[in-house]
Amino acid sequence: MSDDRPTPVLRAERLVKTHHGEGAPAHAVRGVDLCVRPGEFVAITGPSGAGKSTLLHLLGGLQRPDSGSIWLAGECTDTYGEARWAVERRKRIGIVFQFFNLVSNLSVADNVELPALLAGTSPKQARAEREQLLAELGLTGKERSMPGELSGGEQQRVALARALVNHPPLLLADEPAGSLDSKGTREVMRLLSRFHQRGQTILLVTHDARLASAADRVISFFDGRIADDAELDGGTPPRRPGISGVLELKD
Amino acid sequence: MRLPLLALLARGPAHGYELKQDLEQLLGSAYPQPNVGQIYVTLGRLEKSGLIEGEDVTQSSRPNKKVYHLTEAGREALRVWFEEPEDEPRVRDEFFMKLALAPQTGLADQISLINQQRRQYLNTMRQLSRLAAAEDRDNRIAHLLIEGAMLHLQADLDWLERCQEELEESE
Amino acid sequence: MRATLRWAHSDLRTHRGEALFLVLATAGIVASLLLATALFGYATNPWQRVFTQSHGAHVWLHTDTAADTGELAGLDGVDSVAGPYPTAATTVASRGSRAAVELRGTPERPSVDRPPIVSGHWLDRATPNGVVLESRLARALLAEPGDTLTVPGTARRLTVVGLADSAEPRYRPGEQPGLVWALPSAVADPGGQVIGLRLTDPGDTSYVVQRAVTVLGAGAIGEVSTWQQARAEAQGDNRLLGQVLGLFGLGALVAAGLAVHGAISTRIRGHLRDLSVLKAIGFTPGQVVRVFLLQHLAYALLGAVAAAGLAEVLGSRIPGRLGDAVGVWQGLPGHTLALVVIPVGAVLFIGATTGLAAWRAGRVPPVPVPVPVQRPAAPRGGRWSAATGRMLGRRPVTAAHGGRPASGARRLLGLPPAAPRTGRLSGTARRALGARVPPALVLGWHKAFTRRPRSLATVARLTLPLLLIVVAMSAWTTIDRFHSRPEQIGLPTALSVRADAGLGERQTRALLERDPEVAAAYPGVETAALVPGQTATIALRGLGTDQDPYPYTLAEGRPARGADEAVAGQGLLDLLNVRVGDWVRMTVGDQPQILHIVGRSIEPENAGRVISTSLDTLRANDPGLRPTLYELRLDPGAEPRDVADRLATAGRGHLDVHTVTNPADGLSPLRAVVAGLIAVLALIGLIELLTAIGGTVRESERDLLALKAIGLSPRQITAITVTATGCTALAAVLAATALGLPLAHWLIDAQGRWSGIGAGIAQGPSALLMLLLGASAVLCAAALAAVPATRAARRRLADTLSAVA
Repeated sequence: MSDDRPTPVLRAERLVKTHHGEGAPAHAVRGVDLCVRPGEFVAITGPSGAGKSTLLHLLGGLQRPDSGSIWLAGECTDTYGEARWAVERRKRIGIVFQFFNLVSNLSVADNVELPALLAGTSPKQARAEREQLLAELGLTGKERSMPGELSGGEQQRVALARALVNHPPLLLADEPAGSLDSKGTREVMRLLSRFHQRGQTILLVTHDARLASAADRVISFFDGRIADDAELDGGTPPRRPGISGVLELKD
Repeated sequence: MRLPLLALLARGPAHGYELKQDLEQLLGSAYPQPNVGQIYVTLGRLEKSGLIEGEDVTQSSRPNKKVYHLTEAGREALRVWFEEPEDEPRVRDEFFMKLALAPQTGLADQISLINQQRRQYLNTMRQLSRLAAAEDRDNRIAHLLIEGAMLHLQADLDWLERCQEELEESE
Repeated sequence: MRATLRWAHSDLRTHRGEALFLVLATAGIVASLLLATALFGYATNPWQRVFTQSHGAHVWLHTDTAADTGELAGLDGVDSVAGPYPTAATTVASRGSRAAVELRGTPERPSVDRPPIVSGHWLDRATPNGVVLESRLARALLAEPGDTLTVPGTARRLTVVGLADSAEPRYRPGEQPGLVWALPSAVADPGGQVIGLRLTDPGDTSYVVQRAVTVLGAGAIGEVSTWQQARAEAQGDNRLLGQVLGLFGLGALVAAGLAVHGAISTRIRGHLRDLSVLKAIGFTPGQVVRVFLLQHLAYALLGAVAAAGLAEVLGSRIPGRLGDAVGVWQGLPGHTLALVVIPVGAVLFIGATTGLAAWRAGRVPPVPVPVPVQRPAAPRGGRWSAATGRMLGRRPVTAAHGGRPASGARRLLGLPPAAPRTGRLSGTARRALGARVPPALVLGWHKAFTRRPRSLATVARLTLPLLLIVVAMSAWTTIDRFHSRPEQIGLPTALSVRADAGLGERQTRALLERDPEVAAAYPGVETAALVPGQTATIALRGLGTDQDPYPYTLAEGRPARGADEAVAGQGLLDLLNVRVGDWVRMTVGDQPQILHIVGRSIEPENAGRVISTSLDTLRANDPGLRPTLYELRLDPGAEPRDVADRLATAGRGHLDVHTVTNPADGLSPLRAVVAGLIAVLALIGLIELLTAIGGTVRESERDLLALKAIGLSPRQITAITVTATGCTALAAVLAATALGLPLAHWLIDAQGRWSGIGAGIAQGPSALLMLLLGASAVLCAAALAAVPATRAARRRLADTLSAVA
């Protein structure tokens, strides 16, 4: 009997990663199993230091797991070297970090176009993609600016554009609103939701509940392990009619 | 509901239905559909306390409506209300009770309690986001109310994390 | 790849200063190497210099007078012709020494083979009997311009009007006749003629010689000498110089390579964050390595080509000896080869060092944010925690503090945690802070010396050029001493006088000592002695008497006092394989002589193969021995030439006075080379310094916020960087002095020993000079660090946030 569910974009089994720093070794990821289907929006929350970022780095090939396997669109990546992962990151995975997303000596336009050029698209097409994305993100007019001249929110938007310029099947985001204020957070949330509605698969690491609630599925990460994996569905019907009782005017 | 209605009457005399509309307009979807009956009851109580005064106004093709206006006492009560700060909202006592008592009853697991509550909060958060998206951009009061609720929820979720940390510690 | 080019192009635009720096550094190094090669050739191969300066002829054909040499000019491969000149083989004598010479009639200054004049002037018709001697011949005859030569067996007298260098095979007594140029009128009876051929292609020499022999007929040719022969002969000489310079050059090259490597790896270290982002975007490690390699190779190539072009075009216009050297070098055959090989070699060398640094760049982890410090195992303290814990049914846990204060401060400020740092503030540093020493100084000191491997490497890299400079300065001082204090290097006497038969011993002595500026006159003889079993002869000198001993410059042992005691030079000790304290036996004429070597003297003459004893010892064997020369020691400050003139006048023609040749005269080009070398090394040191400063400044940017929070003003923060750089420079200077002085002594003494002069000539630079070097290095370092440090300390906070790596 064939499994008529589509191949998961990302599947991980028994991932383990331990950091050996100055003191005792820190077990960042302890035996994590994960599966992300196409079109899903998954959020990973948890306290800081729980290992969420490490998990994301493992899934993006930025660090090698001590043990465990990762499958990207059904292909096992155990044998991938650093160079091979780099090739994957060009076309199949887009990554947005909390800080330092942009190359400091390239202009905004160059920063966005670089992954496209790396992937082999022609400069003309890369430029077209870039213009479209920047327009969508509200950044027209900033093509020639250097990253140092932009605000934090603008930098994150440019980073998002850069991550999506090749239309990768999977977008990984590590605390994309971590260094932004609430307005910036709302913008990021809005953009992520918009892309999600167009079918983008997103894996988001955040400690901001608002961002997490924008996802379909929230995974709670505690001390290197998955504590809870919840599908958000709008929840139980509200006990109070209308809305969920934001304001209660009592007598 | 008493004092908000008093505050609305401070602008000028109005009747019950107008007050209901004012409330809706002010609070938008952050406030559930105002219950007309409850409004009239509250108005009655306020009149009895002497904070407002009502006047009948005859209407030709409709039942009589009563128009209320604020009294001096009412204005004074309002002033006092505005001057005093409010108590902070309290920790969700009931959940905390559940968490503290679960081990003793042996009926529930603390971790799954926390997980369950977290799911609830996240769903609520999601609904609030939808609410905020649906609400008219210019209604800043409404947006502020929703934001306030979201921040409270965030704080609650952070607190849940703390609880889980403490419990993980002991294991 | 387009992406690579795009990134490289942008990088160039943003970091124009660094790119320019690298290009200039490479250009400087390559230019210095090229100039050093020119100077090297100039100094170590005087034959080549003389040949080029004199437009020498490649082939000299000695034929008989009947040969018809007119056709030679039209030969294939012959560019121009010198002569034919009439020649006569005779003997000349001067002061008792004789030499077989070839008298060559040359009309006026020839176009091909114009011998460069060393002293005096060329032939002119005013002096029909005037001759110009080849300089080697003149040295053998002890002749100078103004002297008179006699032709034994005739009454002819020739006046020396000048000395000149020649590129032909040199005078070797008994083997090769010396060269004397005279007016054709003076060559009365030519026994043959000589014709010189200058070729278009020097490699064709044997072919041309064949053709010439065919043209002239084998019977007519007496002797053929080629430029290759002459060069091979002359090259034995200056190996000493060549080795020293070669060693220096190698050291400079290594230092240069390290400097460039340091500059590049510091640059890469400043880009670590960008590299991580590039890798996260999708650059493979191989691509990253390639980008850096190609980029820096391009800069290096640009610099090398620019330097080669500049050296070629402007090199000969440099004033002074350097310009001469380059001019000469451009005419040399190996010139084009060197012009290509040196820049290419430098670029490859730089490429190799870049490759290493670039390889490390490729290994940068693709994670742009450093791994966050794991949350502390124990929860943070507080009453709430205990209460909650109890309520949740657990035992209260005592609080514990995780993390270092600095990282806590950083978290407070909302910054990502810093990379882990080793090195806590040492106890002395703490006490210094407590004793109100300015915090900037203490922190600067701490910064310079904490991170062990890195700071050691920086100090080491800075030490290397300084060390070489110290060695070079020692070499300079030693050569200086040759000129200023000759008595310390084995030349205690300045003048050497020979009397002919007209004056008796006592008269001569009295005449000499009557001169006011003569401090002492030592009678002596100089003979050749044969040591049994040796095919070489050694010089045996008897100088001074037992009452009035000759002031030898002793390096070991004691002066010869009693009978049969002698001192020997290093060359002799090596030759005979004996040591101080041994007895040696030699044959003088046919008399045996046994001497006890009691000391080693510094002997610059005759490669040190000299053994000296007192005249009385020699007289014991040969009572009829009479002194043939007198060595004069002058009063300090006396000018030898003036005294010589006075004595010559007083002697009324019976005295021949000569200045003692200083072997350092041949080494004077070395001074120019040493100066040039010091300049190159200073350049390399500067590059290293700038690299170190760049690295320190960049590191300090990371801590800017934390330092401001502690309460340091921008000026103090600048002072930290300046102090750190100054401390590093000071450490390097001290290390360079500590290592360099002994090394220099050892090197120079080794050279002295090898050349036979003898160890003990080394002289380190004066303490004042060393102090000057050290102080200037430290101050220069501090001054150079001040500018970028000030700029960094005043940066806006927002900028530093983005600079955190």
